[in-house]
Amino acid sequence: MKALELQMTQKQFTSWRKSLQRRSTLAIIITAAVLIETTAVVQYLFARKGIREEVQHRAQSELHAKSLEIRNLMVEVETAVKNTAWVFENNFQRPDSLVGICEHLLQNTSTLIGCGLGFEANYYPQYGQWFEPYAIRQADGRFGRSQIGSATHDYLHSEWYIKAKEKDGGYWTEPYYDEAGARMMLCTYALPLHDSSGRTVAVIGADVSLDWLSQVINSKQIYPSSYNLMISREGQIMACPIESLVLKTNIQQATAKMKDTSVNTLNQNMLSGQRGQTVVTDDKGEKNYVFYAPVEGETGWSMAVVCSDHEIYYGLRQVGFNLLLLMLVGLALLGYIIARTVRGFNRLQEVNATKVSMENELNIASHIQMAMLPKIYPPYPDRQDIDIYGLQKPAKAVGGDIYDFYIRDEKLFFCIGDVSGKGVPSSLVMAVTRTLFRVASGHEAAPERIVTQINETISEGNESNMFVTLFVGVLDLPTGRLRYCNAGHDAPLLVGNGVESLPCVSNIPVGIMADWKYQPQETLVLPQTTIFLYTDGLTEAEDASHGQFGLQRVLDRTQQAWRANEQAPTLLLNNMNRAVSEFVDDAEQSDDLTMLAIQYTKQQQEVRLCKALTLPNDVQTIPQLAAFVDDICEALGFDMSTTMQMNLALEEAVVNVMSYAYPAGTKGDVHIEAQANDERLKFTITDSGAPFDPTAKDEIDTTLSAEDRPIGGLGIFLVREMMDSINYERVDGQNVLTLRKKLKATVKS
Amino acid sequence: MKTTIQEQDGNLVAIFEGRLDTAAAPQCEQDLKPLNDCAGHDIVLDCTALDYISSSGLRLFLGVLKNAKPKGSHVFITGMNADLRNVFTMTGFINLFEFK
Repeated sequence: MKALELQMTQKQFTSWRKSLQRRSTLAIIITAAVLIETTAVVQYLFARKGIREEVQHRAQSELHAKSLEIRNLMVEVETAVKNTAWVFENNFQRPDSLVGICEHLLQNTSTLIGCGLGFEANYYPQYGQWFEPYAIRQADGRFGRSQIGSATHDYLHSEWYIKAKEKDGGYWTEPYYDEAGARMMLCTYALPLHDSSGRTVAVIGADVSLDWLSQVINSKQIYPSSYNLMISREGQIMACPIESLVLKTNIQQATAKMKDTSVNTLNQNMLSGQRGQTVVTDDKGEKNYVFYAPVEGETGWSMAVVCSDHEIYYGLRQVGFNLLLLMLVGLALLGYIIARTVRGFNRLQEVNATKVSMENELNIASHIQMAMLPKIYPPYPDRQDIDIYGLQKPAKAVGGDIYDFYIRDEKLFFCIGDVSGKGVPSSLVMAVTRTLFRVASGHEAAPERIVTQINETISEGNESNMFVTLFVGVLDLPTGRLRYCNAGHDAPLLVGNGVESLPCVSNIPVGIMADWKYQPQETLVLPQTTIFLYTDGLTEAEDASHGQFGLQRVLDRTQQAWRANEQAPTLLLNNMNRAVSEFVDDAEQSDDLTMLAIQYTKQQQEVRLCKALTLPNDVQTIPQLAAFVDDICEALGFDMSTTMQMNLALEEAVVNVMSYAYPAGTKGDVHIEAQANDERLKFTITDSGAPFDPTAKDEIDTTLSAEDRPIGGLGIFLVREMMDSINYERVDGQNVLTLRKKLKATVKS
Repeated sequence: MKTTIQEQDGNLVAIFEGRLDTAAAPQCEQDLKPLNDCAGHDIVLDCTALDYISSSGLRLFLGVLKNAKPKGSHVFITGMNADLRNVFTMTGFINLFEFK
């Protein structure tokens, strides 16, 4: 449950972290967006202001320029008329010459289309009530003369005549269409004339065509769709892009139906000769900037430049839109980069964490591996017959060398091996090999069969082609008989009567061929002899210049140790270790180095008691065995309880031999020998039957219920329980089973 | 070795005397046959006079138990000395039987 909760927390943490990352990424993007947007808006506003000022400036220049142009034309007309006034006044006595003067004025002033001189009523009695000599510039460039005053053309009531007379000065009329004279859009400049007494007697009417006005006004716009507008003093539209409105309507009428009422203020301002600017929304909802100013002089005309908001800011909007697009792309890119960076960062963190955890695991692996090796020396302080010492120095954190030993049924099982390669993969194979060694030797005392079992398992599915050189030895402690099987490992040295290599047949290392037949070998190890085992890390230890320690040095050192009588395992290995350390010096250790020394230290003891009994393989003779055992126990002074235990052990062991060694129906003998020295009682049960190792049976499970309890297997279990050791050997075609019981312990219990 | 079967208070009582070793086991097995028909009775194995038991004897005891259990009969052991009890403890048989 704890683990599950932890896992949940881990999950929650991960999702929390992820959402935090998502949120912070989002926050960064939003901040960036706000920053960029704000900058863009500020920039836009500034640009807009700049553009507005620019437009204002351009519009005002435009207004000023047009105004000036118009003014110049007007002044030209005004000046020409004023300069000719005295000529008229001097010729009042000669009314016939007056039209000629008019024509002269036209000739000198190209902007004039016609010129007339309207006299007050009945000024020349001979001409009646109306007298207006008039000259006109005709389409062919010539001039026409006429007297146009009549009842139908009653100039005396014309605006130009009346206003000029009232004002007693130059006066510009409202634009009008002259039907009588020029037959075109005209505007008249009127100037009163005086006789010698200073009385106003006539008015000059100089007609100006408005065609040029339209040209001036409509030419050269500041924007393609912007336009100029000119209105007269009374609001009459004098020039605008819509021809049909010109002189047909006034500005109030033209704008009366517009929804935006601010146009009325604009009209008033223009009519009252003010200058300024305003914004008018047209009926399409489009904003228009209107800049207006009066034309200087006496005309009272006003001019306006109208530009659509859309057009003014079109460029800016385009730029803004592009910027927005660019910004979005930028933000998307930013988001992508952040996401990638975060992912990269996460991966880096994970990789780091994995690395740290791998290092931790390697350390743990190293500890586990070291824990697998026997590490308490001396391993069997209670035993007088064996002394063992082992040393291992892994080249990397975890090593590929293996050594192991343990005692089962008075046999020392030991092995030393070297897994190909170094580091973690080797150490894994090493761990597997060590486990296999323990499993195989747990129920098998023949070294070649132990090696065969290990080989079969390792070869099976060995895809990484790792192999192990392995030496497995089984030392029978009561007899000193060493059975061994060498699978391609360095031959151990025997240090007893001198130093000699243990003869080894050339078996291949395990892990290469699953069906290889491993050959067993056998030798007798004499007391005080040391078996020295090592891996090639010893012979191939390298100094700084890659020189190898070599077998000869190993032999020399071992010889020295033997001569100095220092073949005790601890002494021997420490000596060797010192020698190799001195040789290697500061060079980096190139391979795992493992050494194992086993000294057989059995001492023969004086036999105190020796009795023997031979029984046929018939369980009905068991009572004879009981009597035999009782006798021995009595001789050794055993109590009742121990005697019963000895009886039980012997009966079980002998019955086992009787039942299994000989095939059913065949007869054979079972020989029982009892020997005791000061230390222990030993029973040796010998038969000539088929090879049968009762110690190789698996242990029974004493916790099973009655239903699950197998009938067999109890006998050997009881023997193990009653005796200190049980030991099987096949010697010279005979099964030899040895049971031992320590005397001291027996007496005590 | 002597094995006697008696009926006492509705129980089947097997009384063992002497050494129940491998040699004695076959005869003892014959003697215990009546216990096969134990339905409705509990079985008491009286070991007061039993001096010795080996694994062959243990197998006979286990046989009695395996036969009696499915029939609902209990198997009790009485009067066992400390040494034999030690053997029962060692082998785990002490967990299989009920002791009186």
